Formats: sequence, C-alpha cells, structure tokens
Amino acid sequence: MKPGFLSRVKLEASFWLGRRLPTCEEVLPVLSQSLERKLTLRERVTLRLHFLICVYCLRYLKQLRLMRASVRARSEQIETGDSAPAPALPEDARERLKRALERAKQ
Amino acid sequence: MSEEQLVLERPTADPGAWVDRHGDYLYRYAMFRLRDASAAEDAVQETLLAALKAYDAFAGRGSERTWLVGILKHKIADHFRRVSREVTAGGDDEGEALEQRELFMQTGEWVGHWVAAVHPEKAEILGPHEWHATPEQLAEQGEFWEVFGRCLQPLPARIASAFTMREVDGLTSEEICDVLNIKVNNLWVMLHRARAHLRRCLELNWFGPKEH
Repeated sequence: MKPGFLSRVKLEASFWLGRRLPTCEEVLPVLSQSLERKLTLRERVTLRLHFLICVYCLRYLKQLRLMRASVRARSEQIETGDSAPAPALPEDARERLKRALERAKQ
Repeated sequence: MSEEQLVLERPTADPGAWVDRHGDYLYRYAMFRLRDASAAEDAVQETLLAALKAYDAFAGRGSERTWLVGILKHKIADHFRRVSREVTAGGDDEGEALEQRELFMQTGEWVGHWVAAVHPEKAEILGPHEWHATPEQLAEQGEFWEVFGRCLQPLPARIASAFTMREVDGLTSEEICDVLNIKVNNLWVMLHRARAHLRRCLELNWFGPKEH
C-alpha cells in the first residue's frame, strides 16, 4: 500500500460526506438552538457527522458554551460578592439618588 | 401599649441608608444587564422610589437587599420591554452580514462552509480558534467584560436584551417571548444573531491570534 493512501481515502470520504450534509452556515443556527432546546435525533446525528469533517463548527459550539458559562460565572460573582471587579456607583450618581429620595419622602 | 406608641415603633424607611448599603450592589446588578451608566442609574432610582412607596408592605420583614433586587428585576424587565418597542434603535444589519460573510465561502463547490476549512492557510486569521480560557478565569477579568460590553453595543437593543435575559438571567423562552412580545422561532433567530456577532467580536478583540 502506498504511503498516504489511507489519508487520501479519508479525504475523499470527507468530501463525499461534506457534499451530502448541510453546510456550516446551515449548521450554525442549529448549534445555537442546541443551547435552547433538545435537538431531534435527526439533528443530533447530522451534527455528529458534520463534526467528523469540520473541526471549526465543533469549535464554534464550544465557544458558544464558553460564552454562556462565563456570563453566568460573572453574574454569580456580581451577585454574591461586593468585591466584584465591576465599577461601583459613581459619587455624583449617589448624590443624585439621595436627593431624589429626599424629595420623594417629603 | 397605646395606639401612639405602636405607630412610633413601626420601622420607618431610611432611603439614604439604602443608597449607602445597597447602592453599589444594585448598580452593578443593573449595569451588568443594561451596560449603560445612565440607564443603570435610572433603574436603581426607580427601584428605590418604588421601594419607598411600598415600604409599609415590606416593613423590615426579610432581607432588605433581596427585597430591593426583586424590585430592580422588574424595573430592568420594564426597560427591556420599552427598548424592544423602539424598532429603529441601534443595529447595523448590513455590517453584521458583511462581518459574517468573509468567514464563509461565497462561491464554488464548498459554498457556505468555513473559508478556514477550505483554505487552511487562512485559518490563522479567520478562525474560529480554540479559546484557551475557563469561565472562572474570564469572570475575574474586568477588562474582558469591558470588551464584552462593547461587542454587544452594535446589536439592535431588542436582540441584546433577549441575549441578556437568556444568558445572564437564564429566563425561559416563554418568559422572554412574553417580555418582548415575540414568537419563539423569532427568539431563536435573535439569539443566533447575537451569539454569532459576539463570538466574532470576542475572537477579534480578545481571543484572536494575538495572545493576551
């Protein structure tokens, strides 16, 4: 067997598969929806096959998951600790708030 | 105990102290969701004014902060409801479409696939790249969240609102559709747009080929 024969076969196989599967652009909305609902069996199988030939769509999905997880982690941090490295209420806003409340109280 | 004493002993509202005790907390909470200093200040002010009016019903029962955050949540939802009605506010559909277009093949046999997959030599510039970070690391980095906020800025207000309600507050599709008065398919399209844009923007401005 010639060296490279197997990789040649693999390449041809992925071309064959790629022509029969939805394109990456068609896959992306489904990846986003996988964060919203349980995908159908058909959708899940299609994605599995698509990931076999496309590492970039798999990366995209990991990125979406990381974005969600970091937003939640940040949000939790802001809600549990006062030491969160987020800007605090500015002094002038603090004064305005107090004045508005004094007026309302009278 | 006389009637007069009862009245005197009822706890009275001290809104000035609320500002000192919870102002920073409420402001950060609002700011993370609204990403606009004056909108966040407004939401906090509306919250404290509403709290002042409703103080008798609360009357010191339970945690003051939990009570105030509960009111703030409603004020933020009101804000989302309001901006979602302003159809023209913000957004650059054409810019968004252009920014996505350069990532995908426009012609030929592999139209609609990542350019990076067809031309590996362009993968380094176009991505998608591996993002080497954990949620915990990112949560600590104030600078990252400034970039994050700037990335959401160009999106239409209703799309950014939908994204925030879904990802920050973890609201269900039904709850979000109710606030924005939309159908669930529409919500999914909006979330996809928000994520696609945000992903691209973060890759260019934070995770990109240049190491941080």
